[in-house]
Order: sequence, then structure tokens, then C-alpha cells
Amino acid sequence: MLLQSHELTISFGGLTAVDRLSLAVEKGSVLGIIGPNGSGKTTFFNLVTGAYAPDSGKVIFEGKDITGLRPHRIAQLGIGRTFQIPAPFSKMTVLQNVMVGTFIHASTMKAAKEKAWEILERVRLDEKANHQVVNVTLEDRKRLELARALATEPTLLLLDEAMAGLTPVEVKAAVELIQSLHTRGLTIIVVEHVMDVILSLCHRVVVLNYGRKIAEDTPDRIVNNQEVIKAYLGERYSARN
Amino acid sequence: MPTWADQAKLNSTPIAWQWVCLGLIFLVSLIIPWIVSPLWIRIVTEIFMWAGLAQSWNIIGGYTGYLSFGHGAFFGMGAYVTGIAMMNLEWPFGVGLLFSGILAALLAAVIGYPTLRLRGAYFAIATWAFGEMIRQIATILDVTGGAFGMQLPPFLNLSFFYYVMLGITGLTYLTTYLLLERSRFGYKLLAIREHEEAAEMVGVDTVTIKIKAFALSAFFPGVFGGIYAYWVTYIHPDSVLGAQITDFMVVMVFLGGVGSLWGPFLGAFVVQLINRYLWLVWGEGTFYLIIIGAAICAVVLFIPNGIIGLLEKRIFSPRGALSQLRKLIKW
Amino acid sequence: MELFLQTLIDGLLIGGLIIVVGIGFSLCFGVMHIVDFAVGEWVMVGAYVSFLFVRHLGHDPMIYLPLIFFTFCACGWVIYPLIYRAVSGKRHNPVLMGLVFTFGISILAKGGALSVWGYHIQSITTWLSGKSISLGIATVPALRFSGFAFGILITILFMIFLYRTKWGIVIRATAQDRDTANLLGADVRKVGAFVYSLYAGITGMSGVLIGALFSIHAAMGAKYCTLAFFVVVLAGMGYVPGVIIAALILGLLQSFVGVYIGGRYNLVALFMVMYGVLLITPKGILRKGI
Repeated sequence: MLLQSHELTISFGGLTAVDRLSLAVEKGSVLGIIGPNGSGKTTFFNLVTGAYAPDSGKVIFEGKDITGLRPHRIAQLGIGRTFQIPAPFSKMTVLQNVMVGTFIHASTMKAAKEKAWEILERVRLDEKANHQVVNVTLEDRKRLELARALATEPTLLLLDEAMAGLTPVEVKAAVELIQSLHTRGLTIIVVEHVMDVILSLCHRVVVLNYGRKIAEDTPDRIVNNQEVIKAYLGERYSARN
Repeated sequence: MPTWADQAKLNSTPIAWQWVCLGLIFLVSLIIPWIVSPLWIRIVTEIFMWAGLAQSWNIIGGYTGYLSFGHGAFFGMGAYVTGIAMMNLEWPFGVGLLFSGILAALLAAVIGYPTLRLRGAYFAIATWAFGEMIRQIATILDVTGGAFGMQLPPFLNLSFFYYVMLGITGLTYLTTYLLLERSRFGYKLLAIREHEEAAEMVGVDTVTIKIKAFALSAFFPGVFGGIYAYWVTYIHPDSVLGAQITDFMVVMVFLGGVGSLWGPFLGAFVVQLINRYLWLVWGEGTFYLIIIGAAICAVVLFIPNGIIGLLEKRIFSPRGALSQLRKLIKW
Repeated sequence: MELFLQTLIDGLLIGGLIIVVGIGFSLCFGVMHIVDFAVGEWVMVGAYVSFLFVRHLGHDPMIYLPLIFFTFCACGWVIYPLIYRAVSGKRHNPVLMGLVFTFGISILAKGGALSVWGYHIQSITTWLSGKSISLGIATVPALRFSGFAFGILITILFMIFLYRTKWGIVIRATAQDRDTANLLGADVRKVGAFVYSLYAGITGMSGVLIGALFSIHAAMGAKYCTLAFFVVVLAGMGYVPGVIIAALILGLLQSFVGVYIGGRYNLVALFMVMYGVLLITPKGILRKGI
């Protein structure tokens, strides 16, 4: 198991955002996390990457307890993450954005630049390398998010709604890119709303509702799971069916 | 990052002329003490000092995006430390300066440690309160001469202080250029400023980097304070620890162009000239505070990127000026 | 023992005043995330304006409290759009710009006051000056007690407004979750203007109280700005009820340091406390800050 969470819990004010969540991700697999809005998916990512410290519970990565570590330490240990709404560094170029990510492992500026170029080529952003980030399209910004996360040489990649806002053509390209990353050995957790993407990418799917895990199974079985349908579409729909 | 340099790379026009300009200005400044009157030597010395002070504030305020509203305290501290070192401990001037700078940097690290972990508002408040506290401390302690201030050994050599100021200011700008514009440290700072959370997520140890930047930004004012003390020979809490020191730093950086390499120099130049002029015309007074305050507000509202920002938007070409005016009036 | 009690009561009385300086300021941050560096200047101008009223129209300064409240509210309403413009927009760094803008305003206000009134120190004398009230265990200057009483009154009215009226609920909702409040029909921009005016009005009133009790001079803003900062950090930034406790604690701290160590050390003591709080419980002593 590459990543495990044990009874992870966090509350904000009176609201329990993540409720005793336990799940595990096998090395080399792709896990999907789905659930209605507000079910705790992004909060879970924040807990794993160290942005929040849980009220109780543990996160274990590669056998080590990383609960409560600062985010930059966790990034250095090998967990990379993209944001739902891309968060590039505005006054820098695309290349410079990626270079910041390479600083963990590259020892000189020259090495950092070379590594950044290589990654940009892999995600096919190399033509826009010297563009200021503000001038770049949404799809490219999402690629940049990905490139920057890849620059840190992660073992585990967390993708938070990477497809949001993309056209069907762009989604197809993104799925291909993610698949290519997976074939190169990356373990990936994908949070998504687009079911086709989940079906085509993931080996296993975890369904969250109100911060709790309500189902965990292979994608095709999840789609037919009554609890899941109820959570997404409401009691009355599932009662009708 | 520096848009002049990057745009230059994109357009592949030679930027050698920028270096030539700089070289010329530097050469001219080397011979100034030989060609102008003592009054002007003093004025230019002061401009250099403020250019350096403004740039130090820029390191933490502009490049990192954390506002230090008590930054003048490092200047005053440096003045007093050098004074005490030279008067009570009888150390040589250079040693006193070094000690001032290092002490200021250490104190900044201590102040920065709890505050830079939190949002920018806490840092602004804490540094402001720190500045107020240091002023009060200087007024109470005996070793600083209390409210009466302290005297340093007299040394009236205008040229000496001119060259020392020039040198340290040059050092400040060189350090900023090397460390902040061209290195990993600078990239990380900029990443922190633009999106701190994302920077942390790609492995940047934001807190440590911020503390280092703050310490660096405090070192130079400490040294400048020491030079200033020896230069004017007599210092007291209001002259070296007054709130106006930070006020000036802030307005100079913002007017010139916050976060840019040459903005602080430009801002220092403009503000000092205006200040000297007002002083000539209206005498010693408090009106300059109104102007500083109004200038800060105006810059934030209308030209948040300062004069450098205006120059980058090519406001001096007719088309550029017209489009800027149109954007402004849309408010 | 008598000295201890006297110091205690003095501290509580001062604390009561400081509450008023802190509640508006805390609300301002809680709702709009704006730290108004000019808070001390609002106090100073409030003090000066009440001084002018008393000088030209006579009577007790406390009578002018409502008038000053509404005047300052109006001023806040006028200034807020500027602050909003500084804080919003796709420019550089909105939080940073807001801080610098209010910093600029504080310099402007201080410079204006210094230019108009110079460095002279003024004070207000009223029919209460010089009189004392005996509370059994200690005697208290009547003026100081009156300031405290009005301070508590203002605080109670403010809390009632915040927790028991419709507008108060809207404000607190916006503070907790701006986007949802927006969706539920609260015009966030209007709420911001309203809160800022309220803050200006209350802080102006605190100036009246302070002006009546202590001396008035153009540079006094720094002192109350520092106090407001300390209170708000101790209370937890944005947590208004915490201000009451924090202000009382700071009042006591000031008082005890003043009597037992020396008034000149009060800034050092306050800063040490604030430093400790930031180090150990940055969300305030009740851990409810933002």
C-alpha cells in the first residue's frame, strides 16, 4: 500500500467535513474518488498533502506516518497535487512556474531549467514555455498545474477535478496524458465528477458522502450501487427506481 | 520576474545598453564628490541611503509580499548599536557596522519566526508594534542616552561617508539582483508572493525562506543606521526611530514600483528631491506627512505598480498613454 | 492589598474603554478581512472633534456621543469605496494593497492633525473632572468611571445589534462565509460599507471617551493603534466577543505594569504578551480567531 488513511477526521465549526475516513491506495494503481459537492473530496486531499491537520486519524505514506507534517515536507517526500482552480504563479512564465517545482531535486539553475523543459515537452506545453502565465488558456493552465506537480518527481499524484471546465476534446487529451503518466509508474488518485473519465481511468473507486465513505468497488459495480445513486440523485429518485 | 529582461529575451533585442547606462551612472557617481558643493554631496549621499533603505524594504515587502511596517526600527537599532560599539566598547567603525547588520538580521529572524507562519496581516501588525516598542526601549535605557540621545565620535569627512553610502547601497542592489532576480531563492520568494499555498505544495519551505528574506531585509537597514549615526554624529529616538523612517521607505517603494529592482531607487530619488524642495520652501514642518500619506493612497488606487509599472506600460508613447487613460477612466 | 485592589479596578476601567476601540476594529477584519491601520487616527480625530464641541458649545463631552457616532459613520461610508477599490481587483495583491492603503490614510490623518493642531496637548475639563466616587474598596475618579460606564453601554448596544437584529445576523453570516451570504441575497459590498461605517462610528465614539479621560494630541493615534492590535491578536482576529476579555486583560496588564514595574515598560510588556500569543496560540487565547 502506497498510501493509507486511518479514521481520518476533521471538522470546521460545527460541520464534520471528513468523518473517520479510512482508505488505501495500491502502488501503481489509479483510485477514483467521487461524491456529491461538499462530500469532503478536496478536504481529503488537503489532509493528505498537509494543508490541514486532522482532528484525529492518521495518514501513512510509504509506511511512514506523515500526519501533521508541513505541506512542503510532504511534497518533498513524493506526493504531488493539482488544484481544482489552477493556481499558477502569476508574474512568472510557464517555464519558470515549472522550475520552482524542480528545485527539490535539481541542484543548479541549469539543471532545473533542463528538467522543466523536459516536463513541458512531456505535457506538450513546450511551445508556450516563455509565455507569461496570465496569457495562457485554461486548458494550458491545467497542463501547467500538472507539469508543476510532476516537476517535484512525485510517487503519488493527486488530481483534483482536473477535467473541470474542459471541452470534450480537451478532456480526451487530458485522459490520454494521465494514462501515459500511469504507464510510467505513477500512482494516481483522481477526484472527478465526469463518470466517463472515472470509468476509463480508475481501477477502484471510493464514493464519499458527507465526509464518510459509503462505497468502495470497481467502477462498473459502483455505477450500479444503490447507495451511490441515492447519494447523488436523492432518496426519491432511487425509491422510484 | 523582471519584465524588461524577459521581454528583451522574447524580442531578442540587445540589452547591453542597459548595462552601459548603469556603468556610466556608476562612473559619474564616483566622481561627484570632486565636482559638486558640500551641500549637494550631502543631498546625494542621503539619496543613496534612502535608495538602499527602500530596496531593503522592497525585499520583504515587494519581492516576498509581506509588509514590514516597523522596518525603521532596524535602522534605528543599527544607529544605536554602532554608537554604543564605538563609544562604549571603542570598536572600530567597520566592526560596529557589521555587528549592527548582523544583530538586526538576528532580531528580524526572532520576530519573523512566529509571525511569518501566519497571514500577512499578523506580520504587518507585529512588525508595527515591534517598531513602536523599540522606540520606547531606546527612550528608557541609559546606555542609549534615553530621550536625550547619544553622541558619536566626530568625524567630518563628507567624501568618506559619500563613498561608504554609495558602496553599501551598491551592495544592497547587487545582492538584490543576484539573490532575488537570478537565483532559486528569488524564484521561491516570487512563488510565495504570488501563491503561497501552491508554493508550499511544490516543496518550497515557505516559512524558512520568508524568515531568511526578512533577515536579509533587516541587515542592510542595520548597516545604514550605523553609517548614518557616525555621519550625523548625534542621534536620538525621534531622529532614527521615528515612524517617518518606515513611512518614507513605504512611499518610496510603492511610488517607484513595488517588487521591481529599480523602483525603490526611482522612488527614493523622486521623494527625496520633493522632500528637500518642500523643506526649502516651507521649512521644517509636518506637511510632508500629508503628502506622503496622500501619495501612498494615490499610488495604491491609481498606479499600483508605481512609476516602473507606468514605464513598462510604455505610457510615454501616445498610444500607450491613451489606452492607460481609458482604463483609468473606466472606474 | 489596597494598592492591589486599586490597580485592579483601574485596570478594569481602562480595559472597558479599550473594548470600544477593539470591537469595531475586530468586526472590520472579521467581515472584510481588512486591517485598518488608521484605527488610532479614528480615535484621535474623535477625541479632537469632541474637544472642539466642548470648547465651542460647552456641556459634557458624553452628550456629543450620538452626534459623533453618526458623523463618523458618514465619514466611514464615504471612505469605504476607496478602500474597496484598493482591496479588490485583479491587481497585484489585494490584501497587501488594503494594508498599505489604510497605512497611507493613517499617515495622512496624522499629518493633517499635526499640521492643524501642532504638537500641543489638549485636554477636556468637565463637571466630573476632579471628582471621585468611592466604591467601598477603592476610590475611582468619577470621570474615569463615567468613561467606563459609557464604554460598557456602547459595547452592550453593539453586541445586541450584532446578535439580536436582522442586520447583525447578515453581518455575521457574511463574516463566516462571504460567498454563501452573497448567494442568499446579502449584497456583500453594501454589508462591507455598512460595517466600515459602523466601525468608524464606534471608534470615533471611543475617541470621545478617551479624549475625556486622557490628554489629546495629534500623535496619540499610535498608542491606540498599538492597543487595538494587541487586543485583536489576543482575542483572536475577527472574533468580536473575545475582544471583551482580551481588552480587560490588557487593561489589567497595563495597570499592573504601570504600578509595579513602571509605566515606561508597558509597550515592552504588551509586546511580550503578543509575541507569546502569536507563538503559542495564534488564533487568540480562546482559539477562535481566523
